[in-house]
Amino acid sequence: MNRFRRQFFIGLFALVAATVAALWAHRRFHHALPDYAFLTGWALFAAMFVLTFFNARKKLPFLPLGKTETWLQIHIYLGFFTVVLFLIHLNFRLPHGGFEITLAWLFALVSISGVVGLIFSRTLPRRLATRGGEAIFENIPALRHALKTEAENLALGPEAKSPFIGEFYTQRLAPYFAGPKNQWRHFTESRRALHALLAELDDLRRFANDSDREKIEKLAALMRQKDGLDYHRSLQLALKLWLFIHIPLTYGLIVFTLLHIVLVFGFSGGAR
Amino acid sequence: MAAAPTILERPQRWDAAFDAEMTDADVERLLATAPFRDMDAEKFPKRTPLREILRNDTRILKFRKGEIIVRQGDYGTSAFLILQGAARVVLKPDLPPSLLGRQAPGKKGLLRTLAQIWNGSRPAELISRRQLEPSTGLGARRAAGKVRVFLQDVPRILDQYRTAELLAGDFFGEIAALSRMARTSTIFADSDGTELLEIRWQGLRELMKYDGALRAHINKIYRERALASYLVSTPLFRHLNKEQLVEVAKAVEFATFGDYDWSGEYKRLAQSGSVRPEKEPVIVQEGDYPNGIVLLRAGFARLGQKFGGGERTLNYIGAGHYYGLREIAHNWRNRDAPVNFQFSLRAIGYTHLLIVPTRVMEEIVLPSLPKTELPAPMEVTKEAWHSQPVAENVARKKIGAEVLEFLTENRFFNGTASMVIDLDRCTRCDDCVRACASTHNNNPRFLRHGPTTGSLMVANACMHCADPVCMIGCPTGAIHRESFAGQVVINPETCIGCKACFNNCPYDAIRMVEIRDKNGGFVVDQEMKPIAKATKCDLCVESHGGPACARACPHGALSRLNLNNPDALAKWLKL
Amino acid sequence: MSNQPSVPNFDAQNYARPNQNWICGHACEGHACRQGPDANGRCRATAECKPMLETKPGEIKGRWRCTRSGGECEAGPLPDGSCCRPIAKCSPVPTLRVWRGRMTLAVVAASCAVLLVLVGRPPWRNQFISPGEISHAHSGELFAAVFATNHFKENCQACHVAGNSGPGGIVTAAMHAKPGILDFQGLANARTAEPTAIDASCLKCHAGRNFHQANAPPISCSFCHAEHQGKIMAAPTDANCVFCHGNSATLVAARVNGGVVPVIHHFAGDHPQFRFLSEKWRDPDTLKFNHALHLTSATIPKLPGGEKLDCTFCHQPDATGALMKPVTFENNCRVCHSLQFDPATPQLMLPHGSVESVTAFLRSLPKQYLNLAIKENTAVANAFVAQKLANLRTLFGSGEELEQRVFFSTATYGPETQIGTLSGSTRAMFPGCAHCHEVKATASGLPEIRKPVMPERWLLQAKFTHAKHTAIGCAQCHDAIHSEATADILLPPKETCAACHSPRGGVADSCAECHTYHKPRIAAR
Repeated sequence: MNRFRRQFFIGLFALVAATVAALWAHRRFHHALPDYAFLTGWALFAAMFVLTFFNARKKLPFLPLGKTETWLQIHIYLGFFTVVLFLIHLNFRLPHGGFEITLAWLFALVSISGVVGLIFSRTLPRRLATRGGEAIFENIPALRHALKTEAENLALGPEAKSPFIGEFYTQRLAPYFAGPKNQWRHFTESRRALHALLAELDDLRRFANDSDREKIEKLAALMRQKDGLDYHRSLQLALKLWLFIHIPLTYGLIVFTLLHIVLVFGFSGGAR
Repeated sequence: MAAAPTILERPQRWDAAFDAEMTDADVERLLATAPFRDMDAEKFPKRTPLREILRNDTRILKFRKGEIIVRQGDYGTSAFLILQGAARVVLKPDLPPSLLGRQAPGKKGLLRTLAQIWNGSRPAELISRRQLEPSTGLGARRAAGKVRVFLQDVPRILDQYRTAELLAGDFFGEIAALSRMARTSTIFADSDGTELLEIRWQGLRELMKYDGALRAHINKIYRERALASYLVSTPLFRHLNKEQLVEVAKAVEFATFGDYDWSGEYKRLAQSGSVRPEKEPVIVQEGDYPNGIVLLRAGFARLGQKFGGGERTLNYIGAGHYYGLREIAHNWRNRDAPVNFQFSLRAIGYTHLLIVPTRVMEEIVLPSLPKTELPAPMEVTKEAWHSQPVAENVARKKIGAEVLEFLTENRFFNGTASMVIDLDRCTRCDDCVRACASTHNNNPRFLRHGPTTGSLMVANACMHCADPVCMIGCPTGAIHRESFAGQVVINPETCIGCKACFNNCPYDAIRMVEIRDKNGGFVVDQEMKPIAKATKCDLCVESHGGPACARACPHGALSRLNLNNPDALAKWLKL
Repeated sequence: MSNQPSVPNFDAQNYARPNQNWICGHACEGHACRQGPDANGRCRATAECKPMLETKPGEIKGRWRCTRSGGECEAGPLPDGSCCRPIAKCSPVPTLRVWRGRMTLAVVAASCAVLLVLVGRPPWRNQFISPGEISHAHSGELFAAVFATNHFKENCQACHVAGNSGPGGIVTAAMHAKPGILDFQGLANARTAEPTAIDASCLKCHAGRNFHQANAPPISCSFCHAEHQGKIMAAPTDANCVFCHGNSATLVAARVNGGVVPVIHHFAGDHPQFRFLSEKWRDPDTLKFNHALHLTSATIPKLPGGEKLDCTFCHQPDATGALMKPVTFENNCRVCHSLQFDPATPQLMLPHGSVESVTAFLRSLPKQYLNLAIKENTAVANAFVAQKLANLRTLFGSGEELEQRVFFSTATYGPETQIGTLSGSTRAMFPGCAHCHEVKATASGLPEIRKPVMPERWLLQAKFTHAKHTAIGCAQCHDAIHSEATADILLPPKETCAACHSPRGGVADSCAECHTYHKPRIAAR
């Protein structure tokens, strides 16, 4: 069986088993134990703590701590289980009070961003591979600059002898080549922008002689390359930006969680 | 005002002599011994005079009885000349590994490993001054630091294993030194006071280049020894007795195709976009009369078939494989319906092969094979031929035609640890590069970019080729094969930055990187030019746990695969 | 032309270094310098060369030489040894990772700031960290005034030790909590309803733990009364009561003076029968009263208004509506039982209340008659009196016999034989005190009539209010029409109540409907 499918089944099985066990324990104990909320809280905290180990593992690649792939599988399925623990800890009710609502929102955002990141990681690479034209993200500005220079030379350079192409370039293509474009459209897999622009370029053919036609072909080729570059930038950026929510909010969540623990014990029935 | 740059003397070829303790007296002694005394010193160029070659590229080693000199399977780049005493070669079958004292190469200790946590804040390729100064102790350390393994019970070994004796004046180890292959046999000293001259291959190359007698002699013993042991170990010939083997050995022809220095040519061709199978040297042409079996000794060859206006690849074969048995066996049994070579064999890069003529095959070899081992007779018609499951077609089936063409076109099958990336799973997170950097002085040793086919990318990382072209031309031996598992590693302490390997590597896997001091500024030589060293992937020989890149990929998209045969890749593609 | 864009050619000279935090500012144009920015993001570009001081033999000062790799420049180094062609510094660009790191720092800083402000400053804090609304009683100006603190509305310190303290205080309280922060065993083994430290706060105002049974196990206040659940504090649930009453071990341990208290889970189910019934109590009242006679007999006189006698004439709800006012002679009996001892003079009635007053009355009969005559304006009072007295003598013989008759007789005297009449509102004939009361002769001469005992309530452990049951007719619960003996307790059995107060009946049947945990405020009379 496909190795990834096997990972999925193992993880899913473990998750379902753990969820069933947790829900059974909840039914059995949540009235019987008076400090049940404390115990489920600690279980939730322990699970969150283990989840953070994943970041630690990534920072120590030179120690033989096991493959990051395995760690990520644990992180994902434990993450889902943590959501179950969270619901159990809240006793399936909505929280009250500013502090608890904020804490719950932080947890929710971290979890949701995690799921979104998982979806991105499993869907966007295939789209990038299918599109082709691999580019390293940090090199994209340089590549874009090269395309822009080439297009400019073609349209406006000393060899360019067609003012109408030059004019078209200045008005319509210069902004296109200037920076990243159509990022949201690429994310939603819409090709409309490029087609529209190419169609406009195409319209110039009726005024073009042979050498101009060649130029137009070359410009079209450059535009397609720029489009591919933009596509890569858009999806690769998405693959990096989801972590901008997941990681900073995790730290915020940790701060709030620690304070939650102090408050809950400080204001508990047993506090002296 | 920027910090003052760190200035050093630029390293030179013989800054680190093979043995710093070679004295003038030693050199004089050597010059008085055969074969050196018969060499014409005038023939050697001024830059590399004979005397200096002997002083800097050789060393004298002393062995006691039972000490192992070379182990079978080790990668080494030196040849040996016995000055005094005797040595014994263990013929096949070889000694078990436990007797050979194999040990894993040293890894970084716990403290050094943990210190890498702070690598991120240090400048890239930070090398301390102490490491840079060519220490006089460098060569000596290498000699003295080597652990010598003794064979415990020599008489019993002589009893149990077949050995041959080597005496003063005999050369050995030249096969490994010249062909960049593993040592073929284990050799140990047979008497106390055995003295050997170890010539590293840079020196051997010079000596062979400028002295005809040595060149001829080496070629002769190369043929005698290498061939004999090779034939003995080939499954095809294992049913032959001694006399028959000698007959076969006499009739075998050597051939080499391609350029020893093929990488330069390949790079030029690749850049001009004109790497095409049709341009590769032909070993066997499709449709030719089968005049012998081709046994590949070193290098790679492509098995191709005419397709359209060009030629498509069916498979590539490496060292140890042969082609032509089917056709010759068929012809031997069906004299009235003979066939020609069905496919063409082309040399990729540099190939070193043996051709066993058809006559020898028919008279000696084929009759010795049991009926079950003979290949089935072939259908003669072309249509039927194509519909038959062909052993040669297996590679296409395993990895797909497109991938096969891609690998052969780019010569990727050379790699024993090629970095392949599944672009369908790779999230372009660069965790692999970061892991590599943190394990290697904050400088990654590969580029996460390379030729792509479909969703497979072969990234620009050292593939630790079976035929490491990069090792040709290194003047100091800084680039070498680790003696245990064969990883190609560059020793930064001895690298002089001459760019030989950098230029040689056909895959651009080696890059020159300026070394820095602790302020992050370049270390410069007296001409104020930055000193650069060649860097490349070393498969994390010094780290625990193996290649950090593959372990760091969270989505299982990166793997280091042996592409010498398509099996590993097929397995990985299926997963 | 291929549909797929071609893979851009990579730079064979340089590695890409995503592990570095800063990228040379010229990278976006394709000519990143090899030096790269330093770790703090400063460009390291200085000049085109680093001049070298060359001192030839014999020279003292030497000469600065240009060491530019492209070839020496014309002008050469400046006299102080610096290059004459400086390179403009670029603005290094931080990578995305740097931005992520900054954002993380910002989020952490913001969290800490928010928390310090909100948790540090009590008025805001209390609103912020409260996990639920506080009940009326424990919030508001009044409560705050009682507690005399300076934080209006939310007064956490009233209950929580750390309620008013700063962060340090909260941490200290958390560290001293029992079970403590890392005391997993303690948390897991805590027993339900065990009193905790916070119960001491309740006792500050709600003084004295009033348990309904002396040696009942101590229970934490918060077990039944949960705060932070909303403006209206929820009533204790059946589960709270059943926690002890459903557990026979607890009951056995807590029993008083022997006797087993049965295990109770619900009212309609295993709640025991009312004790007056199961222990067959009798009403100890000394007043002989026959409900059946009074309610169903044909010979009972009608009330002055003409109606038949019914429950509500004697039994009136008290001010609260919960219980009934005690039945009194003056209000409820005299209207028919007028105590006229002289059949010929019905307007002269015996006083009611004490034996002494009746005796005094009887011994002063002439005076009584005289007063009556005066009152009724009889012309010749003396003759009237004499007449009356003579009549009496005819009936009774002597004064003593009259007394005896009054106190001890139970039968009518005179021509009338029955007490009541069929029609009209004629009063009942007075047979004698002993008809209703228990009269005992004593040595002292004055008979003894024991005061009737009328228990106000029979269900001592439960609170019952008639006011809520006005929809039901009296006879549905009180079987008066079949009761002939005073000793009958006319309360219904449990089943009657359970007919409505049960899941099937639909009316609330929780323990708290009738019972309270704390000692009842109304003492049994």
